Amino acid sequence: MTLDQESVRHLSEVSVSVELETPEMTLNIGPQHPSTHGVLRLMARVDGERTYDVRPVIGYMHRGYEKLAEVRTYPQITTIVNRIDWVSGYANEVPFMTAAEKLMEIEVPERALWIRTILTEMARISSHLVFMASYPLELGAATPLFFALRERERVLDLLESVTGGRFHPNFNRIGGVKPAYGSGSSTRKMIQDLPASFFAETKLAMENVLEACEQLEDLVAGNEIILARTRGVGVLPPEVAAAYGVTGPNLRASGVAFDLRKVEDYLPYDQFDFDVVTGENGDCWDRWYVRLQEIRQSARIVSQAVDSIPSGPLQAKVPKVIKVPRGETYVRAENPKGEMGYYLVSDGGQGPYRLKIRSASFSNISILPWALEGVLIPDIIAIMGSLDFVLGDVDR
Amino acid sequence: MTDIFAGVMSNFWVGLGIKLGIVAGLIPVVGMIIGFAEMKLSAKMQNRVGPYYAGGRWGWAQLIADGIKFFQKEDIIPANADRQIFKIAPALVLASTVALVVVIPFGPGLAFRNLELGLFFALAISSLSTIGVLIAGWSSANKYSLIGGLRAAGQLIAYELPLVLSVVGVVVLAGTMNLTTIVEAQIAAGYPYLVLQFVGFGIFMIAALAELSRIPFDMPIAESELVMGYLTEYTGFRFLFFFLAEFANMFTMSAIAATLFLGGYWLPGMTEEQMIVAGPLILAAKVFLLIFVMIWFRWTFPRFREDQLQRIAWKVLVPLALANIAVTAILKVVI
Amino acid sequence: MTSSQPEAESAEEAGAAEEVEAPHPLAEYAESVASAVGGEGVVTFDTVKVTVPADQWVETLTTARDELGLVMLSFVSAIDWSNQPAVGEALEEELEEETFELLATVADLTEGRRVTFSTRIPHEEAVIDSLVEVYAGANWHEREAHEMFGIVFTGHPDLSHLYLPDGFLGNPLLKSFPLLSREVKPWPGTVDVEAMPEDDDDESEAESEGDGDEAAPADEAEPEEATDDEADDEEGS
Repeated sequence: MTLDQESVRHLSEVSVSVELETPEMTLNIGPQHPSTHGVLRLMARVDGERTYDVRPVIGYMHRGYEKLAEVRTYPQITTIVNRIDWVSGYANEVPFMTAAEKLMEIEVPERALWIRTILTEMARISSHLVFMASYPLELGAATPLFFALRERERVLDLLESVTGGRFHPNFNRIGGVKPAYGSGSSTRKMIQDLPASFFAETKLAMENVLEACEQLEDLVAGNEIILARTRGVGVLPPEVAAAYGVTGPNLRASGVAFDLRKVEDYLPYDQFDFDVVTGENGDCWDRWYVRLQEIRQSARIVSQAVDSIPSGPLQAKVPKVIKVPRGETYVRAENPKGEMGYYLVSDGGQGPYRLKIRSASFSNISILPWALEGVLIPDIIAIMGSLDFVLGDVDR
Repeated sequence: MTDIFAGVMSNFWVGLGIKLGIVAGLIPVVGMIIGFAEMKLSAKMQNRVGPYYAGGRWGWAQLIADGIKFFQKEDIIPANADRQIFKIAPALVLASTVALVVVIPFGPGLAFRNLELGLFFALAISSLSTIGVLIAGWSSANKYSLIGGLRAAGQLIAYELPLVLSVVGVVVLAGTMNLTTIVEAQIAAGYPYLVLQFVGFGIFMIAALAELSRIPFDMPIAESELVMGYLTEYTGFRFLFFFLAEFANMFTMSAIAATLFLGGYWLPGMTEEQMIVAGPLILAAKVFLLIFVMIWFRWTFPRFREDQLQRIAWKVLVPLALANIAVTAILKVVI
Repeated sequence: MTSSQPEAESAEEAGAAEEVEAPHPLAEYAESVASAVGGEGVVTFDTVKVTVPADQWVETLTTARDELGLVMLSFVSAIDWSNQPAVGEALEEELEEETFELLATVADLTEGRRVTFSTRIPHEEAVIDSLVEVYAGANWHEREAHEMFGIVFTGHPDLSHLYLPDGFLGNPLLKSFPLLSREVKPWPGTVDVEAMPEDDDDESEAESEGDGDEAAPADEAEPEEATDDEADDEEGS
């Protein structure tokens, strides 16, 4: 075949019009990264800025809770359980206590239940404020961090004044909450309840939290760039979310009005007046906004609770050595991150036979391979951050 | 006083030495001052105090301490990195910034070198830093750096156009590209060109923010995604060069903007002698105002995504700049 | 293994329900679910538990999802019923056959109902069909159950390790898997240092019970008895 000018020109045109193939790259958004909320590893196959698929690798923080629970007694498990989701420490203990109390058929006194409610809601405020602080930081705005964490300090101080711990309260006992003991000989016979100024300070703290919500809404909600980064990004349809077990604010942002506080009876939420906040589209913006509104609702609950808390004992009568009779039950609670449940199988011993911990973040991030397909790299961070998970909760 | 000054300057080599010394000394000093201002201003915006202990209650020595700290760090170059290019990159970025200082008029006749094509030279030299950033990202042998470098290449090239087009309006009004003559034209007109060229000013400031890779345009660095983008592998004094270059570049870009749009070293109602003495201070004040706005933006806004960034550059800023040029040209002829 | 005693609800509904004889409010629902899927339903401490045969596992959950409206997957896990645990205490009654009990808790999104489906598979042949087609979220739960118990889920796309490092041998949550720390130091028995609230005055605290060695706890008890301050508790009415 002869190469004359005509065919040469034709050949050159043909070779130029072939698409430029770019190889894909495996980017390790590795265990150590500013935005992965802990030691989460995402193996992302990317081509330029677009990801093909993302494979999460978890287990860097696996501590073996379920195996540990088999060699601990119930009071001992209380000390370790609040470390599952350490941002909302108190909220992890309550469903476990409720499960054990159900099997023992103990009736928890009213006052103890109300105190549990107050502290759980304060844990929820604390956890959502951490989200308010860290999510804009992942998008690039550094200032809301300081506003949110400043208010969180007040809540943590209150938690510390009651329970002695900011993150790991260990305040629940089988049958109620920990009765505090007075010190000094004149108060020997007196049970000291919550600290004297607790109720006044809590009301003040709740007002400050509401003010901070206003500030955050001004700073973040109207910001054009935040809207551009989060609207329409990471939409989770409710059917997909439910199939993956996504719960909590993530599910409510997709429009499903499902709140375990209204459905389950582990705490007296029916005595309080609060709304279930839902979003419309299920994108990152809705997840942010639902959490902001939930802070407001929690502040509402706490204010109502401190106004009309009943008096009474703090703990029911329980035997010295806790032996839970044979039985199984599943108690689920509305943790700040989602649904946290404990499936407790007891054989009548001092410790459980099997404790299955259903943690919220585990199911929440199991949707990541589905949600992160075909998105840009900055959107990986935006979507991941909006799911608000904690690695301790994922790995247990 | 001015006679001695003129006498000294008339000897070429002495004059050159003094000028080089001032320029070389200006960059680190200005960089440190602006860095300190950023720390303190951001602290105020975030309800904090900022540097407090270094050098007495104000913490003014913080940046000096940071500079010394960077210098005494170990010089780590990744094993797979391309050594020569890795070393050249920060120098390239810093060099383009230093070169920009040469044409800025600090007072009437007080530019280091009064080029006829001053504005052209400034914009051309400032785009050299793009190459520096790109080769920094490439030579680091790190996927994060590579992504950061490529993002930088895309972003910096995209925003060159609005940057250049936005100043054409000023050139049309002044009739020259000589920076000193532009200021004199504003003095002759009696008002700064901001009044007529506010669209151009806005576009220039946005494009300058993008050229500096500052939030809201800091995709190349994007701390929460790419660790430090193209700067990930740079430590020690090489990082210091980049760091200083960014702040010094803020200064030079703001100085160009102040010269073109805000009247440079001139305030209404000043005489020639006053301007020789107070000119640099006035320019510094205007520059500081612009830098304050840049810092304010950085701590208020999050960052744009890459495709949103490109969309703004090509679909919004470039047409706007072109329209600005057209309107200016028509009005100049008509009015 | 499971007790199905009807039980009066907590404080809110205490007035309505009678004592032991009244049926549990969820009993009717349990019956309806059990008959829909063809299994046995009980209510165990406010939890509806429906047991089905192992070969009907996938159809049961498909029915639950499609007909009963239980669209949300809570978890999928397993229990190792074994006679000789390496850790913890043995069962009170010996089992005739050692089995795995698989649990899948699913819930609905409108009325707050939840059902735990359970089935049994033998230890030797721990194989069951995967639920990935029914609930997409079962993917990770089954991976976890596989690496913790060794159960093989047929039809699962990728049964690789989820938590444990690559190359980890063994299935940790089996009762026969020992805890390394318990091999090093034997189980000290239960030590309970904090006293429980009681009626009588002059209560001495820090009672330690347990079948392990008493020496260490007893030492801790001594100094605490000396300082009575933290000890006393009185039931406030």
